[in-house]
Amino acid sequence: MGSLRNVGVVGLFGYTILFFTFIYLPIVLIVAYSFNSDPINMMNWSGFTFDWYRQIFGLKNTVSENALYIESTEQLLNALRNSLTVAAFTTTIATVLGTATALGLYRFNFLGKKFYRVLLFAPMLMPDIVLGIALLIFFVGAGVSLGLKTIVIGQCSFLVSYVFIVVSARLAGMDRSLENASADLGADEWTTFRRIILPQAMPGVIGGALLAFIISMDDLVITYFISGVDTQTLPIFIFGMLRRGIKPEINAIATLMLLFSFAVASLGLYFRSRRG
Amino acid sequence: MGAHIVQLERATKAFSLPEGGTITALQGIDLDVERNEFLTLLGPSGCGKTTLLHAISGFVQLDGGKVRIDGEDVSDRPPHRRPVNTVFQNYALFPHMNVGNNVGYALDIAGTERKERNQRVGAALELVGLAGLENRLPRQLSGGQQQRVALARAIIARPKLLLLDEPLSALDRNLRQAMQIELKTLQAELGISFIFVTHDQEEALTMSDRLAVLNKGVIQQIDTPRTVYDRPTNAFVASFIGASNLFEGTAARSGGNTLVATADGLQIEAACSGGWKPGDGAAATALIRPEQFSLVGAGAKGPTIGIDIEQVVFTGLNFQIHGHTPSGRKIVAIIAAVRQADVASAEADGKARLGYDPAAVHLLPADGTQAAAEMAA
Amino acid sequence: MSASTLRGRRRTQLGILLGPASAFLAIFFLCPLLIMLVYSFLEPGLYGGAEWAFYPDNYGRILGFANPEFEDYDPVYIAIFLRSLKIALITVAATLLVCYPAAFQISRLPDRWKNFALFLITLPFFASLIVRLFIWVLILKKTGFANMVLTGLHIVSHPLELIYTEGAIIVGMVYVFIPFMFLPVYASVEKLDWSLVRASQDLGANGFQTFWRVIFPLTLPGVVGGSIIVFIPALGNFIVPAVLGGAKVMMLGNLIEQQFLGARNWPFGAALAMLVMAAVLAILFFYIRFEARRGDDAPVLR
Repeated sequence: MGSLRNVGVVGLFGYTILFFTFIYLPIVLIVAYSFNSDPINMMNWSGFTFDWYRQIFGLKNTVSENALYIESTEQLLNALRNSLTVAAFTTTIATVLGTATALGLYRFNFLGKKFYRVLLFAPMLMPDIVLGIALLIFFVGAGVSLGLKTIVIGQCSFLVSYVFIVVSARLAGMDRSLENASADLGADEWTTFRRIILPQAMPGVIGGALLAFIISMDDLVITYFISGVDTQTLPIFIFGMLRRGIKPEINAIATLMLLFSFAVASLGLYFRSRRG
Repeated sequence: MGAHIVQLERATKAFSLPEGGTITALQGIDLDVERNEFLTLLGPSGCGKTTLLHAISGFVQLDGGKVRIDGEDVSDRPPHRRPVNTVFQNYALFPHMNVGNNVGYALDIAGTERKERNQRVGAALELVGLAGLENRLPRQLSGGQQQRVALARAIIARPKLLLLDEPLSALDRNLRQAMQIELKTLQAELGISFIFVTHDQEEALTMSDRLAVLNKGVIQQIDTPRTVYDRPTNAFVASFIGASNLFEGTAARSGGNTLVATADGLQIEAACSGGWKPGDGAAATALIRPEQFSLVGAGAKGPTIGIDIEQVVFTGLNFQIHGHTPSGRKIVAIIAAVRQADVASAEADGKARLGYDPAAVHLLPADGTQAAAEMAA
Repeated sequence: MSASTLRGRRRTQLGILLGPASAFLAIFFLCPLLIMLVYSFLEPGLYGGAEWAFYPDNYGRILGFANPEFEDYDPVYIAIFLRSLKIALITVAATLLVCYPAAFQISRLPDRWKNFALFLITLPFFASLIVRLFIWVLILKKTGFANMVLTGLHIVSHPLELIYTEGAIIVGMVYVFIPFMFLPVYASVEKLDWSLVRASQDLGANGFQTFWRVIFPLTLPGVVGGSIIVFIPALGNFIVPAVLGGAKVMMLGNLIEQQFLGARNWPFGAALAMLVMAAVLAILFFYIRFEARRGDDAPVLR
């Protein structure tokens, strides 16, 4: 009977290894094949090359036998620039609004507080396509031209929720008696906020900002609907590439994006583990 | 099937430590548990008593040796197939089931027919004094009530023996003492053996038919509480159970008695009446329990020890006198509260003369295992 | 300082803190949703946009009954809705089956490994969705990795049609949603009091009985929470079916996208979106009732 128990234990462990393999195998493949020199069939390994990376950085102009290059490096860089611009704005706005709201709910009790909290959760629970088209109708109806501005506004409508949740969680774990101690020692409200509450909440604020940044960079659906014809962000660019035909550089782009995301995420998670 | 409900034969178990290396929790233990007895396993934390319990219930697989329950070798059987039930330290009541379903769990698993199952649940609850509480949830009950539910749940399946893992440690003092009596009564009523684990020696002394003292994976002594208290086999048992004054020294025969001469010049007289008799010149330790001392005057007959008093503590039932000999050896004496006047005058003096009866002195070998071997012979 | 000025100051502070976000959400979240609701009842204009006329036939068309003067009964939209529902439910079940055993195993690891494992699982969540999906195109297509392995190991004689099927969509969605399901389930599994498992075994229950009667019920909150977090985006998803389903397998999301950016029938698209909303609200309604009945523990979504 002991052996049956052991089989179960080994089986479960083996399954977990498979689980992680399932998650990471595609990623490993992408990275590996970004060095594949075969331009036509990306899954057919025919040699190691840095060409695709060079192509992205504009250091080399290979004309492949494959399809016409509708997308040039210029477009890719443009999309990247847009993504970063949007992310910069949305992160700032969402962090400020989300933090302020979290602080407000932390400090004060008022009628309808529970209902308000639910309202703040709502954008996260909404399927993004619903939100996307609602915003589209709204902007067009209001006569606003679609572009970077609308992307920023649209993304903020749900990023505020994310930041709110992260900062709220951080504030919830704070020791309230510290505020009392500060007041007892003679600090007024603003000073207490500046010297006690804000520094303590900072890891949460930064965590929320990082989260907002990453989600903004990655957002596809909502941006898709409210970006209009002329403006592209990086995810939209790749999405377009997928629909129009896959170019070999896409592996390299994807690998770089993965590296970037992982770096930012590791930073964020490292930060969170430090706050203890 | 024989007089023993549980037999452990050379049970051995070692655990590997997270920082490397192993710790041997059970060192080849032999244990025979009688039918219908209340046996307590007592010892400091890490002594192996919980491991021993788990070896019987099946949550620990022995590295070596066997476990027999009612004659059957169950060493390879998983817990759910052993005719033993456990009352867990934290009760382990299923929070998502009400009291009735908790208690009836074993019967539900076995597929007992509904009517009989409900009947037996009701009977079990009545037995522990919780009749009618089938529909309550565990979190709605007090600690004492939860404990009884855990009991009812464990006995309903009519196990051949019941294991209790420090079940009373979470209760406050008064409730604890009440439960001790109830458990004793329950054991007598059910007629099955209870193996009870505790680190509280007072509990062990009051409840057990037999008491096993464990240390470092070895049973130091197993006997009736009285015997373990009066005649501990080694210094560990002596100091673990009750307070003790231990005098290590060299033995010398003198008439029918033995004198133990300590390094700091004391001579303890022991009348040898059964038990271990050290040879002349052998290393021996004399044990005098604090309550065996009495306050005597200067011209008293019989052996005495003189002390300077450090502190006198009044505990309600008696006086504890803490003092030391001129050579600095610490002595504790317990004097009954009625002798208040004697204690007061000794305290005023700052000194006391403690007399004792040589027949009450117990001799231990300086090395513990020696006595066990000789006593077994 | 008198009480009224103190209260006044507090109210000002509250206003400053909550005001901007509230205004923002009111204008850019609630407002658009309301407008969408209104739109779904409008008549589609001839060249896109909408006419200001009450037009219930958008919903009618979903059910298959549009204006009987111009259109015949066409249940295609119901079919798409049901297919989306089916795929979303299968996705939830599959993701749960995939995540549960792993959550179990990881919760039994020593602390250092536990944290590392959690880190590894949440890390892909931060990588771009589109990148994670595109990998599956390369894996599942006819000349892709999967077929390479299958034909290479001679398990099949010629490449299989893996991509552009419902199965491909489900695999893609499971892959994408694993972090969403894993964390709530793991939180529940980790809180499990292992002494309850031992108690169950002690009372005679074998492995399966212990799982079904003790472990699963106690981890149910996490399971339900994770299921909802996966179901909602799965139902209205349009990227995964777009990338892995191609034109062949259409879900609600694709349909909505088509109405807005293709057919330019915005009112109908809005009506379809309302359908998705309705399904989501129904689920949330049942979830809240489920939580209320359970009583004490806080909702998993928090």
